[in-house]
Amino acid sequence: MVRIVVPSVWNPERRTDFEADEGPLPEVIRRFAEANPVMRRRLLDAGGEPLQYVNVCVDDELIPRHLRRATVVPAGATVTIIAPMAGG
Amino acid sequence: MAGMVFIPGAMFDQGSPPAALDWLLRQDQPLPRSWFADETPQRPATLGPYRIDRYPVTVAQFREFTRATGFRTDAEDRGFGLVYDEQGWVERAGVHWREPGGPGTAGAAGDDHPVVHTSWRDASAYAQWAGKRLPTETEWEYAARGATFRLWPWGDDWDDKRANTAELHAVGGLTTLEDWQQWWHALCRRDGPLPQTTSVGSFSPQGDSPFGCADMAGNVYEWTSTLSYLYDEATVCDPTVRKAMGSYRVIRGGSWMNFRYQVRCSERMHGDPLGWSSFAHGFRCAQDA
Repeated sequence: MVRIVVPSVWNPERRTDFEADEGPLPEVIRRFAEANPVMRRRLLDAGGEPLQYVNVCVDDELIPRHLRRATVVPAGATVTIIAPMAGG
Repeated sequence: MAGMVFIPGAMFDQGSPPAALDWLLRQDQPLPRSWFADETPQRPATLGPYRIDRYPVTVAQFREFTRATGFRTDAEDRGFGLVYDEQGWVERAGVHWREPGGPGTAGAAGDDHPVVHTSWRDASAYAQWAGKRLPTETEWEYAARGATFRLWPWGDDWDDKRANTAELHAVGGLTTLEDWQQWWHALCRRDGPLPQTTSVGSFSPQGDSPFGCADMAGNVYEWTSTLSYLYDEATVCDPTVRKAMGSYRVIRGGSWMNFRYQVRCSERMHGDPLGWSSFAHGFRCAQDA
Protein backbone atom coordinates (compact mmCIF):
# COMPACT_ATOMS: atom_id res chain seq x y z
CA MET A 1 0.00 0.00 0.00
CA VAL A 2 1.00 3.64 -0.43
CA ARG A 3 -0.11 6.66 1.53
CA ILE A 4 -1.84 9.46 -0.41
CA VAL A 5 -1.93 12.94 1.09
CA VAL A 6 -4.31 15.54 -0.35
CA PRO A 7 -5.37 19.08 0.68
CA SER A 8 -7.86 18.98 3.52
CA VAL A 9 -10.27 21.22 1.63
CA TRP A 10 -10.69 18.73 -1.22
CA ASN A 11 -13.28 16.64 0.60
CA PRO A 12 -16.10 17.49 2.99
CA GLU A 13 -14.64 15.33 5.77
CA ARG A 14 -11.45 17.44 5.71
CA ARG A 15 -9.50 14.22 5.50
CA THR A 16 -5.89 14.41 4.28
CA ASP A 17 -4.60 10.84 4.53
CA PHE A 18 -5.71 7.93 2.34
CA GLU A 19 -4.33 4.60 1.20
CA ALA A 20 -4.02 3.18 -2.29
CA ASP A 21 -2.29 0.35 -4.08
CA GLU A 22 1.27 0.84 -5.28
CA GLY A 23 2.13 0.91 -9.00
CA PRO A 24 2.89 3.33 -11.83
CA LEU A 25 2.25 6.90 -10.66
CA PRO A 26 -0.47 7.77 -13.21
CA GLU A 27 -2.28 4.55 -12.34
CA VAL A 28 -2.03 5.21 -8.61
CA ILE A 29 -3.56 8.66 -9.10
CA ARG A 30 -6.23 7.41 -11.48
CA ARG A 31 -7.33 4.58 -9.18
CA PHE A 32 -7.34 6.88 -6.18
CA ALA A 33 -9.48 9.43 -8.02
CA GLU A 34 -11.94 6.82 -9.21
CA ALA A 35 -12.23 5.44 -5.67
CA ASN A 36 -12.84 8.94 -4.30
CA PRO A 37 -15.16 10.63 -6.82
CA VAL A 38 -15.54 13.77 -4.73
CA MET A 39 -11.91 14.57 -5.64
CA ARG A 40 -11.97 13.26 -9.19
CA ARG A 41 -12.23 16.60 -10.99
CA ARG A 42 -9.27 17.92 -9.01
CA LEU A 43 -7.06 15.03 -10.14
CA LEU A 44 -8.22 13.89 -13.57
CA ASP A 45 -9.14 15.67 -16.78
CA ALA A 46 -12.30 14.99 -18.76
CA GLY A 47 -10.54 12.09 -20.49
CA GLY A 48 -9.56 10.47 -17.21
CA GLU A 49 -5.88 11.43 -17.37
CA PRO A 50 -4.08 12.92 -14.34
CA LEU A 51 -4.05 16.72 -14.50
CA GLN A 52 -0.57 17.89 -15.30
CA TYR A 53 -0.67 21.22 -13.48
CA VAL A 54 -1.22 19.52 -10.14
CA ASN A 55 2.13 18.83 -8.50
CA VAL A 56 3.01 15.41 -7.17
CA CYS A 57 5.67 14.45 -4.65
CA VAL A 58 6.72 10.87 -4.04
CA ASP A 59 8.12 10.93 -0.54
CA ASP A 60 10.21 14.12 -0.63
CA GLU A 61 10.81 14.25 -4.37
CA LEU A 62 8.77 16.56 -6.60
CA ILE A 63 8.11 14.61 -9.81
CA PRO A 64 8.30 16.82 -12.91
CA ARG A 65 5.57 16.45 -15.52
CA HIS A 66 7.76 14.69 -18.03
CA LEU A 67 8.84 12.02 -15.54
CA ARG A 68 5.45 11.10 -14.13
CA ARG A 69 4.61 8.41 -16.69
CA ALA A 70 7.84 6.60 -15.94
CA THR A 71 7.61 6.89 -12.16
CA VAL A 72 6.64 3.83 -10.15
CA VAL A 73 5.40 4.30 -6.60
CA PRO A 74 6.76 1.52 -4.38
CA ALA A 75 4.90 0.04 -1.44
CA GLY A 76 5.36 2.13 1.70
CA ALA A 77 5.88 5.41 -0.19
CA THR A 78 3.89 8.59 0.37
CA VAL A 79 2.37 10.46 -2.56
CA THR A 80 1.57 14.07 -1.74
CA ILE A 81 -0.68 16.03 -4.07
CA ILE A 82 0.05 19.77 -4.03
CA ALA A 83 -2.18 22.23 -5.84
CA PRO A 84 -0.25 24.74 -7.96
CA MET A 85 -1.59 27.35 -5.57
CA ALA A 86 -1.52 25.97 -2.04
CA GLY A 87 -3.38 27.45 0.89
CA GLY A 88 -5.71 30.37 0.87
CA MET B 1 9.46 57.35 -8.89
CA ALA B 2 6.19 57.82 -10.75
CA GLY B 3 3.48 55.42 -9.74
CA MET B 4 5.29 54.26 -6.63
CA VAL B 5 4.48 54.90 -2.99
CA PHE B 6 7.25 55.59 -0.48
CA ILE B 7 6.98 53.44 2.64
CA PRO B 8 9.13 54.45 5.59
CA GLY B 9 11.03 51.76 7.47
CA ALA B 10 9.09 50.12 10.25
CA MET B 11 8.80 47.38 12.82
CA PHE B 12 5.51 45.52 12.99
CA ASP B 13 3.96 42.18 13.78
CA GLN B 14 3.49 40.32 10.50
CA GLY B 15 0.68 37.80 10.20
CA SER B 16 -2.60 37.22 11.97
CA PRO B 17 -3.27 37.12 15.71
CA PRO B 18 -5.19 34.10 17.05
CA ALA B 19 -8.30 36.26 17.32
CA ALA B 20 -8.36 36.63 13.52
CA LEU B 21 -8.52 32.86 13.07
CA ASP B 22 -11.18 32.63 15.79
CA TRP B 23 -13.14 35.21 13.81
CA LEU B 24 -12.75 33.24 10.58
CA LEU B 25 -14.18 30.13 12.18
CA ARG B 26 -17.23 32.08 13.32
CA GLN B 27 -17.93 33.29 9.77
CA ASP B 28 -20.06 31.70 7.08
CA GLN B 29 -17.09 30.07 5.35
CA PRO B 30 -16.32 26.36 5.16
CA LEU B 31 -12.54 26.18 5.50
CA PRO B 32 -10.91 24.69 8.62
CA ARG B 33 -8.53 26.48 10.99
CA SER B 34 -5.56 24.46 9.73
CA TRP B 35 -6.08 25.94 6.26
CA PHE B 36 -5.32 29.44 7.60
CA ALA B 37 -2.71 28.41 10.19
CA ASP B 38 0.23 29.39 7.97
CA GLU B 39 -0.58 33.07 8.63
CA THR B 40 0.08 32.50 12.35
CA PRO B 41 1.69 33.11 14.77
CA GLN B 42 2.48 36.75 14.30
CA ARG B 43 6.19 37.37 13.93
CA PRO B 44 8.07 40.61 14.57
CA ALA B 45 9.34 42.05 11.30
CA THR B 46 11.68 44.93 10.55
CA LEU B 47 11.66 46.79 7.26
CA GLY B 48 13.95 49.40 5.79
CA PRO B 49 12.39 52.17 3.71
CA TYR B 50 11.17 51.07 0.29
CA ARG B 51 8.89 52.00 -2.57
CA ILE B 52 6.09 49.86 -3.90
CA ASP B 53 3.90 50.25 -6.97
CA ARG B 54 0.62 51.91 -6.21
CA TYR B 55 -1.09 49.57 -8.69
CA PRO B 56 -0.52 46.10 -10.09
CA VAL B 57 1.40 46.06 -13.39
CA THR B 58 -1.03 46.66 -16.24
CA VAL B 59 -1.50 45.09 -19.65
CA ALA B 60 -0.10 48.25 -21.27
CA GLN B 61 3.00 48.25 -19.07
CA PHE B 62 3.65 44.58 -19.73
CA ARG B 63 3.21 45.13 -23.47
CA GLU B 64 5.84 47.88 -23.36
CA PHE B 65 8.21 45.41 -21.70
CA THR B 66 7.66 42.70 -24.30
CA ARG B 67 8.06 45.18 -27.15
CA ALA B 68 11.32 46.47 -25.72
CA THR B 69 12.82 43.07 -24.96
CA GLY B 70 11.06 40.46 -27.10
CA PHE B 71 10.25 38.60 -23.89
CA ARG B 72 7.89 35.65 -24.15
CA THR B 73 6.03 34.44 -21.11
CA ASP B 74 6.04 30.85 -19.91
CA ALA B 75 2.44 30.43 -21.08
CA GLU B 76 3.35 31.71 -24.57
CA ASP B 77 6.32 29.37 -24.79
CA ARG B 78 4.49 26.23 -23.75
CA GLY B 79 1.41 27.07 -25.85
CA PHE B 80 -1.29 26.90 -23.20
CA GLY B 81 -2.52 28.63 -20.06
CA LEU B 82 -4.75 27.88 -17.12
CA VAL B 83 -8.34 29.11 -16.91
CA TYR B 84 -11.28 28.05 -14.78
CA ASP B 85 -14.19 26.91 -16.92
CA GLU B 86 -17.44 25.18 -16.09
CA GLN B 87 -15.56 21.96 -15.27
CA GLY B 88 -12.88 23.58 -13.10
CA TRP B 89 -9.23 24.50 -13.80
CA VAL B 90 -8.18 23.50 -17.28
CA GLU B 91 -5.13 24.09 -19.47
CA ARG B 92 -6.26 25.61 -22.75
CA ALA B 93 -4.28 26.03 -25.93
CA GLY B 94 -3.48 29.59 -26.94
CA VAL B 95 -4.18 31.12 -23.53
CA HIS B 96 -1.66 33.73 -22.36
CA TRP B 97 -1.53 37.37 -21.30
CA ARG B 98 -2.38 38.74 -24.74
CA GLU B 99 -5.41 36.45 -25.11
CA PRO B 100 -6.39 35.73 -21.53
CA GLY B 101 -9.40 33.57 -22.36
CA GLY B 102 -7.86 31.92 -25.40
CA PRO B 103 -7.69 32.71 -29.13
CA GLY B 104 -9.97 35.59 -30.05
CA THR B 105 -10.03 37.18 -26.62
CA ALA B 106 -7.34 39.81 -27.15
CA GLY B 107 -8.70 43.06 -25.77
CA ALA B 108 -11.03 41.28 -23.36
CA ALA B 109 -9.21 43.15 -20.62
CA GLY B 110 -8.36 46.81 -21.18
CA ASP B 111 -4.87 48.23 -21.24
CA ASP B 112 -5.37 49.58 -17.74
CA HIS B 113 -6.32 46.21 -16.27
CA PRO B 114 -3.71 44.18 -14.41
CA VAL B 115 -1.81 41.80 -16.67
CA VAL B 116 -2.59 38.13 -15.97
CA HIS B 117 -1.13 34.76 -16.95
CA THR B 118 2.21 35.85 -15.53
CA SER B 119 4.39 33.24 -13.87
CA TRP B 120 6.87 34.03 -11.12
CA ARG B 121 9.64 34.05 -13.73
CA ASP B 122 7.64 36.40 -15.98
CA ALA B 123 6.97 38.78 -13.09
CA SER B 124 10.59 38.74 -11.98
CA ALA B 125 11.81 39.43 -15.53
CA TYR B 126 9.49 42.41 -15.87
CA ALA B 127 10.60 43.81 -12.52
CA GLN B 128 14.26 43.54 -13.47
CA TRP B 129 13.64 45.27 -16.80
CA ALA B 130 11.80 48.08 -15.00
CA GLY B 131 14.74 48.57 -12.60
CA LYS B 132 12.66 47.22 -9.76
CA ARG B 133 12.07 43.88 -8.03
CA LEU B 134 9.16 41.90 -6.65
CA PRO B 135 8.21 42.93 -3.11
CA THR B 136 8.91 40.57 -0.26
CA GLU B 137 5.75 39.34 1.39
CA THR B 138 6.65 41.39 4.47
CA GLU B 139 6.83 44.54 2.35
CA TRP B 140 3.57 43.60 0.65
CA GLU B 141 1.69 43.07 3.92
CA TYR B 142 2.99 46.25 5.52
CA ALA B 143 2.05 48.30 2.45
CA ALA B 144 -1.42 46.74 2.57
CA ARG B 145 -2.25 47.43 6.20
CA GLY B 146 0.38 49.54 7.97
CA ALA B 147 1.63 48.86 11.47
CA THR B 148 -1.74 48.16 13.04
CA PHE B 149 -3.42 44.85 12.27
CA ARG B 150 -6.51 45.15 10.12
CA LEU B 151 -8.41 42.62 8.08
CA TRP B 152 -8.61 44.60 4.86
CA PRO B 153 -6.65 47.59 3.54
CA TRP B 154 -9.36 50.04 4.60
CA GLY B 155 -10.17 48.50 7.99
CA ASP B 156 -12.05 45.67 9.67
CA ASP B 157 -15.51 46.18 8.19
CA TRP B 158 -16.13 44.35 4.94
CA ASP B 159 -17.57 46.38 2.07
CA ASP B 160 -17.96 44.58 -1.25
CA LYS B 161 -17.85 47.92 -3.10
CA ARG B 162 -14.24 48.55 -2.06
CA ALA B 163 -12.54 45.67 -3.85
CA ASN B 164 -12.80 43.49 -6.93
CA THR B 165 -13.83 40.14 -5.49
CA ALA B 166 -16.44 37.62 -6.56
CA GLU B 167 -18.75 39.27 -4.05
CA LEU B 168 -18.74 42.44 -6.16
CA HIS B 169 -19.84 40.81 -9.38
CA ALA B 170 -22.94 38.81 -8.68
CA VAL B 171 -26.26 40.58 -8.48
CA GLY B 172 -27.64 39.92 -5.02
CA GLY B 173 -24.21 38.99 -3.64
CA LEU B 174 -22.44 35.72 -3.06
CA THR B 175 -22.01 33.90 0.22
CA THR B 176 -21.58 30.22 -0.60
CA LEU B 177 -19.48 28.11 -2.93
CA GLU B 178 -22.68 26.95 -4.61
CA ASP B 179 -23.64 30.59 -5.27
CA TRP B 180 -20.17 31.16 -6.67
CA GLN B 181 -20.37 28.20 -9.03
CA GLN B 182 -23.80 29.27 -10.25
CA TRP B 183 -22.55 32.78 -10.94
CA TRP B 184 -19.39 31.58 -12.67
CA HIS B 185 -21.11 28.96 -14.78
CA ALA B 186 -23.59 31.55 -16.04
CA LEU B 187 -20.74 33.89 -16.95
CA CYS B 188 -18.80 31.11 -18.68
CA ARG B 189 -21.81 30.09 -20.72
CA ARG B 190 -22.24 33.68 -21.86
CA ASP B 191 -18.64 34.86 -22.38
CA GLY B 192 -16.30 31.92 -21.88
CA PRO B 193 -13.70 31.86 -19.11
CA LEU B 194 -12.58 35.48 -19.19
CA PRO B 195 -10.78 37.14 -16.29
CA GLN B 196 -13.07 39.52 -14.40
CA THR B 197 -10.32 42.02 -13.66
CA THR B 198 -11.07 45.72 -13.30
CA SER B 199 -9.05 48.79 -14.24
CA VAL B 200 -6.38 49.37 -11.63
CA GLY B 201 -7.43 52.00 -9.12
CA SER B 202 -11.14 51.47 -9.76
CA PHE B 203 -11.75 51.28 -6.02
CA SER B 204 -9.61 54.26 -5.00
CA PRO B 205 -9.57 55.92 -2.65
CA GLN B 206 -12.15 54.00 -0.62
CA GLY B 207 -10.41 50.66 -1.11
CA ASP B 208 -6.84 51.92 -0.66
CA SER B 209 -4.39 50.92 2.04
CA PRO B 210 -3.21 53.43 4.69
CA PHE B 211 -0.29 54.24 2.35
CA GLY B 212 -2.52 54.78 -0.67
CA CYS B 213 -1.78 51.49 -2.41
CA ALA B 214 -4.69 50.31 -4.55
CA ASP B 215 -6.07 46.87 -5.42
CA MET B 216 -4.33 45.14 -2.54
CA ALA B 217 -7.54 43.24 -1.79
CA GLY B 218 -8.69 41.29 -4.83
CA ASN B 219 -8.40 42.04 -8.56
CA VAL B 220 -5.35 39.81 -9.15
CA TYR B 221 -3.30 37.45 -7.00
CA GLU B 222 0.14 39.02 -6.63
CA TRP B 223 3.48 37.21 -6.66
CA THR B 224 6.08 38.16 -4.08
CA SER B 225 9.79 37.35 -4.02
CA THR B 226 9.49 35.38 -0.78
CA LEU B 227 10.23 31.67 -0.76
CA SER B 228 7.38 30.05 1.15
CA TYR B 229 8.13 29.24 4.78
CA LEU B 230 6.20 28.83 8.01
CA TYR B 231 6.33 31.66 10.52
CA ASP B 232 6.82 28.92 13.13
CA GLU B 233 7.92 25.40 12.21
CA ALA B 234 5.73 24.06 15.01
CA THR B 235 2.56 25.37 13.36
CA VAL B 236 0.04 22.64 12.63
CA CYS B 237 -1.21 23.35 9.13
CA ASP B 238 -2.52 21.48 6.12
CA PRO B 239 0.12 18.86 5.16
CA THR B 240 0.10 19.82 1.49
CA VAL B 241 0.65 23.48 2.36
CA ARG B 242 3.56 22.43 4.55
CA LYS B 243 4.97 20.43 1.66
CA ALA B 244 5.02 23.59 -0.49
CA MET B 245 7.34 25.32 1.97
CA GLY B 246 10.82 25.85 0.62
CA SER B 247 9.85 25.45 -3.03
CA TYR B 248 6.78 27.62 -3.73
CA ARG B 249 6.70 31.45 -3.63
CA VAL B 250 4.29 33.46 -1.50
CA ILE B 251 1.28 35.01 -3.23
CA ARG B 252 -0.72 37.80 -1.60
CA GLY B 253 -3.91 39.77 -1.96
CA GLY B 254 -6.40 37.26 -3.36
CA SER B 255 -8.22 37.97 -6.59
CA TRP B 256 -11.52 38.65 -8.35
CA MET B 257 -12.26 34.94 -7.96
CA ASN B 258 -12.30 35.05 -4.16
CA PHE B 259 -14.63 35.85 -1.30
CA ARG B 260 -13.71 38.38 1.39
CA TYR B 261 -11.81 35.82 3.47
CA GLN B 262 -9.14 35.22 0.84
CA VAL B 263 -8.40 38.90 0.21
CA ARG B 264 -7.37 39.78 3.77
CA CYS B 265 -4.08 41.64 4.26
CA SER B 266 -2.50 38.75 6.18
CA GLU B 267 -3.81 35.94 4.03
CA ARG B 268 -1.04 33.79 2.51
CA MET B 269 -1.14 31.62 -0.58
CA HIS B 270 1.77 29.75 -2.10
CA GLY B 271 2.31 29.42 -5.84
CA ASP B 272 4.33 27.00 -7.96
CA PRO B 273 7.12 29.21 -9.33
CA LEU B 274 8.17 26.84 -12.13
CA GLY B 275 6.25 28.44 -14.98
CA TRP B 276 2.73 28.15 -13.60
CA SER B 277 0.26 31.02 -13.92
CA SER B 278 -3.46 31.56 -14.41
CA PHE B 279 -5.99 34.08 -15.63
CA ALA B 280 -6.12 35.60 -12.14
CA HIS B 281 -2.39 35.98 -11.41
CA GLY B 282 -0.49 39.24 -11.73
CA PHE B 283 2.00 41.23 -9.69
CA ARG B 284 3.27 44.64 -8.65
CA CYS B 285 6.87 45.75 -8.13
CA ALA B 286 8.93 47.30 -5.34
CA GLN B 287 12.25 49.07 -5.04
CA ASP B 288 14.72 49.95 -2.30
CA ALA B 289 14.42 53.59 -1.23
